[in-house]
Amino acid sequence: MSVPQYRKAAALALVAGLGFSLTACSTKSGDKDTTAGGKVTITVDCQPVGAQKELLKNWNDDVAEFQRLNPDIVVKSVSVGEQCNNPPDFTARLAGGTVTDVFYGYMTDVQQVLDSGQAMDITQYANKDNIPTWDSVDPALKEVFTDGGKLYAVPVKNYSMGLVYNKVLFQQAGLDVNNPPKTWADVRAAAKKISALGNGIAGYSEYSAGNTGGWHFTSLLYSQGGRVLTEDGKKADFNNAMGKQVLQNIKDMRYGDNSMGSRQLLQWGDLLTNAGAGKVGMFIGAPDATQAIVSQFQGKFQDWAMSPLPGQDGPAKGTLGGGEGYFFKKDLTPEQVKAGMKWIAYQKLTPGKGQFDYVRAKPQNYPVGLPQPLLFANGSEAQKQELELRKANANVDTANFALFEATPVPIKGEPRNAQAIYAVLDAAMSGVLTNPNANIDALLKTAEEKVNQLLAAES
Amino acid sequence: MAQDSGTRTLISHAQLRRGRGRIIYWTLLTVVVVGFTLVFLGPLYWMVTGALKSGQEIAQTPPSLFPKDPQPQNYIDAWNNLDLAKLLFNTFYYAVGAVVFQLVFDTAAAYSLSKLRPVFGNVILGLMLATLMIPAMVLIVPQYVTVIDLPILHINLLDSPFAIWLPLVANAFNIFLLKRFFDSIPEELMAAALMDGATPLRTLWSIILPISRPILGVVSIFAVTAVWKDFLWPKLVMPSPETRTVSVGIYAFAGGTPMNVVIAASVIAAIPTVVVFLVFQRNIMSGLTTGSLKG
Amino acid sequence: MAITTVPQIPRKAGRPPSPYSAGPQRTSLGRKVRDNLTGHAFLIGAVLCFVVFSWYPMVRGIVMSFQRTRRGETTWVGWDNYTRLIADPSFWPAWKNTFYFTVLALVLGYAVPFFVAILLNEFRHAKGYLRILVYLPVMLPPASALFLFKFYAYDPSEAGLFNAILKALHLPTSQWMQSPGMTMPAMVIASTWMNMGGAVLIYLASLQNIPGELYEAAELDGAGVWRRIRHVTIPQTRLILALLAMLQIVATMQLFIEPLILANGAGAEDSATSVAYLIYQHGFFQNDLNGAAALGVIMLVVLAGFSAVYVRLTAKQD
Repeated sequence: MSVPQYRKAAALALVAGLGFSLTACSTKSGDKDTTAGGKVTITVDCQPVGAQKELLKNWNDDVAEFQRLNPDIVVKSVSVGEQCNNPPDFTARLAGGTVTDVFYGYMTDVQQVLDSGQAMDITQYANKDNIPTWDSVDPALKEVFTDGGKLYAVPVKNYSMGLVYNKVLFQQAGLDVNNPPKTWADVRAAAKKISALGNGIAGYSEYSAGNTGGWHFTSLLYSQGGRVLTEDGKKADFNNAMGKQVLQNIKDMRYGDNSMGSRQLLQWGDLLTNAGAGKVGMFIGAPDATQAIVSQFQGKFQDWAMSPLPGQDGPAKGTLGGGEGYFFKKDLTPEQVKAGMKWIAYQKLTPGKGQFDYVRAKPQNYPVGLPQPLLFANGSEAQKQELELRKANANVDTANFALFEATPVPIKGEPRNAQAIYAVLDAAMSGVLTNPNANIDALLKTAEEKVNQLLAAES
Repeated sequence: MAQDSGTRTLISHAQLRRGRGRIIYWTLLTVVVVGFTLVFLGPLYWMVTGALKSGQEIAQTPPSLFPKDPQPQNYIDAWNNLDLAKLLFNTFYYAVGAVVFQLVFDTAAAYSLSKLRPVFGNVILGLMLATLMIPAMVLIVPQYVTVIDLPILHINLLDSPFAIWLPLVANAFNIFLLKRFFDSIPEELMAAALMDGATPLRTLWSIILPISRPILGVVSIFAVTAVWKDFLWPKLVMPSPETRTVSVGIYAFAGGTPMNVVIAASVIAAIPTVVVFLVFQRNIMSGLTTGSLKG
Repeated sequence: MAITTVPQIPRKAGRPPSPYSAGPQRTSLGRKVRDNLTGHAFLIGAVLCFVVFSWYPMVRGIVMSFQRTRRGETTWVGWDNYTRLIADPSFWPAWKNTFYFTVLALVLGYAVPFFVAILLNEFRHAKGYLRILVYLPVMLPPASALFLFKFYAYDPSEAGLFNAILKALHLPTSQWMQSPGMTMPAMVIASTWMNMGGAVLIYLASLQNIPGELYEAAELDGAGVWRRIRHVTIPQTRLILALLAMLQIVATMQLFIEPLILANGAGAEDSATSVAYLIYQHGFFQNDLNGAAALGVIMLVVLAGFSAVYVRLTAKQD
């Protein structure tokens, strides 16, 4: 920069700067028009990201159609990332009060959302007037989002975990796709065959980082009939034969058979990326894992199938369940809450519309026929309609999921203080996955002590 | 760079020109040039070519030196899927703003502390310097809760560039550097300006700033580097995909993107700064040296 | 880099008074007030930023560490956050790892750039090229550099770059980030590679400042290369060495992005957990901002201890 130019710039900067102190900050306030021109405006998050082209188009079409049906409502969509609830970002938004008017959260987030004081009690609004299918929604799900008799969120998805497997790899390895492993011993045998295909393929893949290891440990433990905490929730309850069996199974596959691949310390996206690239034979997950593999990780949904979670010597004794819902930000006007309810009802809870618009989804690169989202109570009218539509438009072989559906495994929720406990259990999982000489007893004992310490300090 | 030829260093020129010294010198030089090229350029080569490999080729043992079947598509995917143009623009925007804010406020403050010396100036300087001892990580939580709800004003700065610019102004190190430099400017110059009836602002402008260009350059480089290198703070205060910086954006997508594409994105993200650095490296290096020496 | 200023500026003994603030006695009171106001007007922008983003958060951090916010209500809880944090099973491993990293980084990330700078300073050729090389990694976004290591260099299979090299040399391969013993060394290598450029430049600048006569005189006394380094180079750059050591310790104690990216956080059996990562875990994963604030205060106390030792050591040497 020549001297005169430089001075000019400095002059500008100084002038601009000295006037800043009070004016500069005010750029962001007051951009909330609640009722502009008699219209009710709500912001909603979890809009699909740009890379999910078809999902994004569906969402935008839904918004347009909904606004046409409800001319007095304006829905503003916000995309918060490829994972709608990535814990650090979610916490940041909660703490910062920057959640949208209607915001997405996991079932396990209820406590955190209540702690933050950001959500409002929506009991009086949750009814047939605002959500026509409300009475068909599974009461157990409503219960999860209820605290002290008050409802805080509308459930929009519910799942339980099973064994997800790659049919192509099964066939290549000479395994029967219609007869997936039923016990952990079967899984081990199948994993051995699949990994024998070479080429860096893992027969079975498992998490061990970013709290996902503990999350899967919990599910594996449930399959053995175990539980993470004692009944009263005050002590760890996994340092026993069942917990040991979980780690032993993994260790046998990892180092006994070398059938889990060499790359470990995986977290959510890592495993699914490998799966999308055709490098994973089996893993445990919810049905929507296959959706993620397709929409984000460039996989093909035709390749994937799902069976119930295996047990030690028979069907699993339990499986981990979870789900999602939409919360409502505190201080919304009644009109906004009603508008938000109507939007959720339209997009998430109406057979034939939104997430249940199977006619639209069928030709898309998106699986129809998955045994989810299990929102409606058994025998309810909405459930019947949804099932019929699903069957009529299925683009995946529903036989792939038939086993999963036909063999109901008791569903258990996540333990209290889940994230902190998962962080502890990550260490046990990473231990057996990265150390050939890992001492399972010691790993579990350490984890048990840590969890007990944590619970003691917490109470 | 050239200016140091001729100055005596650890080993004398004469010694290096003599028979044995010369052999050692040239051997060492060759070893270092080859070694450094491998250590510092090698990984970058690996990065550029690795991003061209297919997923299968990456997993191959032993790794291949050249991509057998180059996949430029990885770069295109990276550019599109990660919205790199947006991420780069954001980072650039934050960096420019950081330079402007730091130059304006820190220069003004250093000038006041050095030349105007108002009452309590030393106390204020002392309090500022004390913050040098407080690492950023210690303040991350309270700073974060402050930014999401500014005291008194109750403004939320999340996703606003001010959340990056303003905390950077509170940089005691830069103020210290600037003040030191201003201290070395003779008071007579100030007195002369005063005689002419110049206001303090005018003096800063037409006398101080022109001779302070090297140190202003140094502060600007520091400001840009700080924005470029910071990770956790922008990750926390810029939670929306639209406002992320390059580093945070690449990290955020890494969990859901094949690794070739992540590496391709890293290559693209590095290009602008590397180019700027190579073009201006003489100015940057000499600015850093002379700026700091003269101070 | 401009830190080189520190040792070179003579103390401002007997400086003439500022022509603005402390003028001749006949200056009226009004004039004095006005000058002071002008002075503070120039300060106000920076001071406001310090107040809001530095001084106030410092106090608030300490206050927060004694409170707990639940359901929007904040209560005083005494030392509860501290006891809870210390009971966190990752607390001691985090400190152990952080100290280990700090020490390793001092050995590698601190000594290596110094000797590289001495070497570069001796070369009469290819100097510019070498300087650019060393500084190139600094230009990469930190996340990019770390992904490079994570995906290519530290891949635990033999498809990984480091393992391929080790195998070609018939050396045992390593699991890198998946092996608890290798986690920290691997992180230090990556961290040094991507950060050392800055330190090398600072050293180079201060090496160029050493008067040639000192070497001349030492050589005449018969001092060899090593003795010249010990008795001329190191004493002449002592202040900058000490300052950089302090800055490096403060920086490495805040180890965060390396474990986050290279080890996905905690690593194999907590071998990568750092104190900064634990702050992040508590604050933003476990909905425990108060606990995170308490850990921040603990970190401050530890670093203050370091600073005290540092000040004492450097003061003694003077």
